[in-house]
Amino acid sequence: MPRYIVERSFTDGLKIELNEEGAKLCRMIGLNNAEDNVTWIRSYVRDDRKKTYCIYDAPSPESIRRTARRNNLPVDCITEVQVLDPYFYR
Amino acid sequence: MELLEREQFLGDLEALLSDVTAGSGRVVLVSGEAGVGKTSLVECFTEAHKKQARVLWGSCDALFTPRPLGPLYDIAHQTQGTLLSLLEEEAPRVSIFSAVLDELEKVRPPTIAVTEDVHWADEATLDLLKFLGRRINRTHSMLVVTYRDDEVGADHPLRRVLGDLPHRSVARLRLAPLSEAGVNTLAESAGRRIEDLYAVTGGNPFFVTEALASKAPGVPVTVRDVVLSRAARRSPAARAVLELVSVVPARTEMWLLGDTIGRDTEALEEAVSAGMLRYEGESIAFRHELARRAVEDSVAVSRRQSLHKLVLKALINRRSEALLARIVHHAAQADDGAAVLKHAPIAARQAAAFNAHRESASHYQTALRYAGELAPEERARLLECRSYECYLTNQGDEAVQARREALEIWRQAGDEARQGDNLRWMSRLGWWVGRKAEADSYAVEAVAVLENLQPGPELAMAYSNLAQLHMLADEHQQAVHWGTRAIELAEKLGATEILVHALNNVGTAELISHDEKGRIKLEESLRLALANSFQEHAGRAFTNLASAAVRSRNYHLAMRYLDAGIAYTSEHDMDSLTLYMRAEQARVHFEQGDWDSASDHAESVLKHYGVLAITRIPALAVLGHLRVRRGDPDAARLLAEAHELAMNTQELQRIAPVASALAESAWLKGDLEQLMGEASFVLEMARVRDDRWIQGEFAFWMWRAGGAPETNENIAAPYALQMSGDWRAGAEAWREIGCPYEEAMALADGDESAQRAALAVFEGLGAGPAAERLRQTLRATGVRGIPRGPRSSTKENPAKLTNRQIEVLALMVDGLGNAEIADRLFISARTVDHHVSAILAKLDAHTRAEAVSVALQTGLIKQIRQSPTKK
Repeated sequence: MPRYIVERSFTDGLKIELNEEGAKLCRMIGLNNAEDNVTWIRSYVRDDRKKTYCIYDAPSPESIRRTARRNNLPVDCITEVQVLDPYFYR
Repeated sequence: MELLEREQFLGDLEALLSDVTAGSGRVVLVSGEAGVGKTSLVECFTEAHKKQARVLWGSCDALFTPRPLGPLYDIAHQTQGTLLSLLEEEAPRVSIFSAVLDELEKVRPPTIAVTEDVHWADEATLDLLKFLGRRINRTHSMLVVTYRDDEVGADHPLRRVLGDLPHRSVARLRLAPLSEAGVNTLAESAGRRIEDLYAVTGGNPFFVTEALASKAPGVPVTVRDVVLSRAARRSPAARAVLELVSVVPARTEMWLLGDTIGRDTEALEEAVSAGMLRYEGESIAFRHELARRAVEDSVAVSRRQSLHKLVLKALINRRSEALLARIVHHAAQADDGAAVLKHAPIAARQAAAFNAHRESASHYQTALRYAGELAPEERARLLECRSYECYLTNQGDEAVQARREALEIWRQAGDEARQGDNLRWMSRLGWWVGRKAEADSYAVEAVAVLENLQPGPELAMAYSNLAQLHMLADEHQQAVHWGTRAIELAEKLGATEILVHALNNVGTAELISHDEKGRIKLEESLRLALANSFQEHAGRAFTNLASAAVRSRNYHLAMRYLDAGIAYTSEHDMDSLTLYMRAEQARVHFEQGDWDSASDHAESVLKHYGVLAITRIPALAVLGHLRVRRGDPDAARLLAEAHELAMNTQELQRIAPVASALAESAWLKGDLEQLMGEASFVLEMARVRDDRWIQGEFAFWMWRAGGAPETNENIAAPYALQMSGDWRAGAEAWREIGCPYEEAMALADGDESAQRAALAVFEGLGAGPAAERLRQTLRATGVRGIPRGPRSSTKENPAKLTNRQIEVLALMVDGLGNAEIADRLFISARTVDHHVSAILAKLDAHTRAEAVSVALQTGLIKQIRQSPTKK
């Protein structure tokens, strides 16, 4: 399955707390993703919390957009990527 | 009966049954390898519920060519009444299928309808499964389907059916073999210890049970060894029963046993009490198909043939139409050529009457194996029939091969009429498998041969075929020329079906070249097709009316034809036309700026297995173009595939949409040389054919690439306006048509405020690359305060309803019934019905009232009332 980096902008800043509420939200997102065979691997959040770079395994860019719609998340840009790991070069 | 390690599955079945009882019917797919205990599980479950539920039972059998609707016959014998009489009089399939649905709907206590071994199902049964699967949720019924998943490869027809079932109504239970502990438990309760029992049997419950029941010492190596060692210990009379029953797939009726080897009650009892056979109503069967196969294989070939001969004779003497498929099976197994040639063609026609075309083609194939002694003309007729049935079942190469052989026979026999008709067919098939040049030359040859003769229906059809090829290639004048000849001749001959075909071709050609007279002809073709139940022609008329409207960007009209057409083709389960029209819907949504719906539609077409190239091309083109406009990855791969397929067809209508996406991609990347290359080829093609819209679009791209503006005045107005420099009028024209992206492209050529408006449109659509390009232009001209990037999207429509569904929902909130909604929106009541079910499903509501309440509570409808309606 292809891997993608999805860039998202949050003009009001990303609000997701490290508590039960936040855990519930993440579970919800996971369930919504599963419907389209989309797996959220992890996200990197910029310091000002206005931009995220999220790594996904997904069958197609459309599936990323569809789940974003379902999860009420913005999408700026989707890039297909491959993993390059420094360990392989040591 | 207690089953080991099946508690979980029985629990699942219980839970599903309570859903069903509450009113949402389900399809339950029970799969697993042969002998894993699918039937035992379902028997155990139905046995426990036979008081609360009505249980119906049917099964498919391992005939070389299965009986059409075999399992339904079994079920109809249990329900009696209308269903059985409809089947016996070979009523039209629609009435039979509706009767099944009525049967499932009418009884209040739930019905559990079991269909076993559908990996062997005939095509008509698969269609029935699909039909029921799409409607089961409205019934209080549970349709339990069992199949061997290890026999269902990627290209097995069952795959496609299972993939098409609405997944909300489907539950899947996949049975695994027993664990080692389970096998040990069974061995203990049988009071036996066999070393390596688990390793040898792999936990297969049937194998384990048989091994435990066989008294043979040591470890049995295969199921076959176990079964045969048990059979070997029976008396000669009991072995004779076993052998006879083994050559009859599924089960042997008592009368059949009596009419073949005589009813020896004692021998029968012996086989039953030894646990090898069991009674099933008025029939006798092996306890498991694996055992039947083992015994059958052990019978010497010559003996097997004489058993088949006995069965064949007994079946023929029954004189029943319902036995045809079985007669052909045993005739072929008995190697009785005369019997095959007598019965296979009749069985083929019967199968075709039930729309089991795959089985029909297979019966013709069986007949052809013995056709060496027939007169060449008779053989040719069988080949023609086989070719037609293969054509209907997507077996392109087989269809061509049979047709070619038939053609050769007629050529040698010097029969020019048949030769001409087969040439015309070769042309049709050539187009259909994507060999356009071949199709063209056969078409011309067919006309040349037939014009030597007294004009008849063959010539009329050859004219119409030539017209169709020209129409598809956008060569309108030739299409009208040949099509008019076809119409005149068909009218003279009173050949309605050919007339319907020809009116369609001429009408479409005229309509595409903006001659409204064409609409009258096409509508007339549609009316005649509907009146005469020419389903394929009716479907084609809807499709062509819709395509012409899409190509001239008349979206309102296009959606009306598409809604009506899809309702019609879905009702008649004509999937390939439904998919083609769904690809057209994707295009409409795409051009209207509803990109989410566009991608949903295009993806739903592409995920289908074995979709025809002419359907795949437009779906790929929309999805590829969408990715180009969104800046999403992997557009190039989709467009490369579409390009290759489209170039093979040599048809403008398929090449242009792909080239359009490639041209725009080149432009967004700033590669003007590539843009020029993409555009000039199609522009030339469109110019020769005088197509206003395609000429306009590609002249526009040439102009964007730095070429001179188009001088031909006969091109679509919005493009002409843009190239003349009147961006304002161009944008206005696009707005009126309803194409926001094109409108923004025109505005982007305007002054600063127009450019800012364009930027807002691009960003609203999610058109990243076009927005970025425009932002660069604005920055380069020194404009300041440009919005930096896309605003975060807000969610207006959490349930993902389409625009049309929202319209319907809004009218539901107003308290309108389906008929009123249909009137209001100019669509059929059936289409409204489809929309309402989709809305209920998406809102997870069980009733209309619930849907309305959800709509109001979530503000879904209030929001819609506030936003302006789309054009």
